[in-house]
Amino acid sequence: MVDLTLILKAVVALSVIGVVTSAVLSTAARRFHVEVDPRVERVLDALPGSNCGACGNPSCFAVAEAIVVGDLPANACVAGGQAVADEVSTIMGAVACEVAVVVSARQCGGGDRAARAYEYSGVQSCAASARLAGGPLVCEAGCFGFGDCMRACPFDAIVMDERGLPRIDLVKCTGCGICAKECPRGGAGLLRLVPEDAPVVVRCNAHDKPKDRKAACSACCIACKRCEKDCPEDAIHVIDRLAVVDYEKCTGCGICVEVCPQNCIDLHGRARGSDAADTDGVGKNVPGFTTA
Amino acid sequence: MSTISQLALLFLGAALVNNILLTRFIGLCPFFGVSGNMETSVGMSIAVVFVMTLASTATWVVWTFVLDPLGVGEFLYIPAFILIIASLVQFVEMYLRKASPVLYRAMGIYLPLITTNCAVLATATEAAKPGFFKMNLDLGATLGLGEALVYTLGVSVGFGFALLTFAALRERLEIAPVPRLLKGNPMAFITAGLLSLAYVGVAGWFGL
Repeated sequence: MVDLTLILKAVVALSVIGVVTSAVLSTAARRFHVEVDPRVERVLDALPGSNCGACGNPSCFAVAEAIVVGDLPANACVAGGQAVADEVSTIMGAVACEVAVVVSARQCGGGDRAARAYEYSGVQSCAASARLAGGPLVCEAGCFGFGDCMRACPFDAIVMDERGLPRIDLVKCTGCGICAKECPRGGAGLLRLVPEDAPVVVRCNAHDKPKDRKAACSACCIACKRCEKDCPEDAIHVIDRLAVVDYEKCTGCGICVEVCPQNCIDLHGRARGSDAADTDGVGKNVPGFTTA
Repeated sequence: MSTISQLALLFLGAALVNNILLTRFIGLCPFFGVSGNMETSVGMSIAVVFVMTLASTATWVVWTFVLDPLGVGEFLYIPAFILIIASLVQFVEMYLRKASPVLYRAMGIYLPLITTNCAVLATATEAAKPGFFKMNLDLGATLGLGEALVYTLGVSVGFGFALLTFAALRERLEIAPVPRLLKGNPMAFITAGLLSLAYVGVAGWFGL
């Protein structure tokens, strides 16, 4: 026999609690209403609103609040770039500020040319494979090619190419750096932010001995110093067994790209304004390659 | 035994012997989630002490004056307590935002985050429902409001203590020469296991 009064009591008890708490909450919402600076709303409208988190803050709203209070500068939004910074500084009545635009660059040319330490058949994710004995690659700095960066990119700027390497669409790339954070080897320099007008990129970030490195991957920098010797601007140096470009000095002549015996230095797209503008690096072996 | 020493025993028993994180394994998600650095752990601990105490008071009142007299508590306590705790935290958040922006900012996202955290719900239930929690500690009859509060404070302080210890250990481990394959989460799990062993040892020490 079902006790109907018990059911009734339960319904009444829960409804009473519900009504009382909602009454308290709605009163509190009115009583404790906090006036928000109207500029917060306007700054929020100016921000992209994708809550990408590239700036290191939890949401665009948090950024808007911080900008209005003055905790963050008007150019705090990494993804928005100059356009957003201009708009925000207009709202805040400040002088327009410069934004140093950066884009993401992949520092690995391995892909299917990198040797595998073992055959990985687990979850198709870089983060997962990196946990299994340090990942399936022999090279300790190379790209696994499962595309965690591609899935993480909030701007759809990354595709995986036929070599199993991420290709970054520099028109879409905002330099938010999420791919580098998401990449298990991003912190080590596999994906790195470079200035927007960086003319060349070294496609390797391994620092172990050139001999070991060569056994692990046929596309790596072998620290031969040809680029260092031939660079007319003294802008590229082999530091800690790896070629590193000094973008302050680099003029984009492309000589290093030509002399590199490993084809591991690529021209970088955005700065050239040519038909290569939307691609991430054009190697010597790509049809249509010319040095400026 | 005098009341004072009984309450002290209750407090210590709740904080150390039956530590909610390391002996009973309730609320492990924040234990691993925010213990990466000291700063977030401190914020979390303060918020937990604050919310747990308030939540237990509220659920004790509702249990004693509404659910128990109506005889519906046995099957209604979980939805009722979740409802109460959630709205209580909402209320406190609104109040703090108006009354004390500094405190509001200090607790930050942790306040809404632990709204229906399992540790908070478990403690609030134990404090309110007599006989729900058997701690091998005979306090006589039911837990009055005072005892419920002491018990909750014990649990939440124990939570904070364990969390801060763990966060400190993890910060040290960040710079320790941990084998490459054990870096990060695996090492955290091992550390948590060893830490738990220590807490379980306390229980054995007292012969409980």
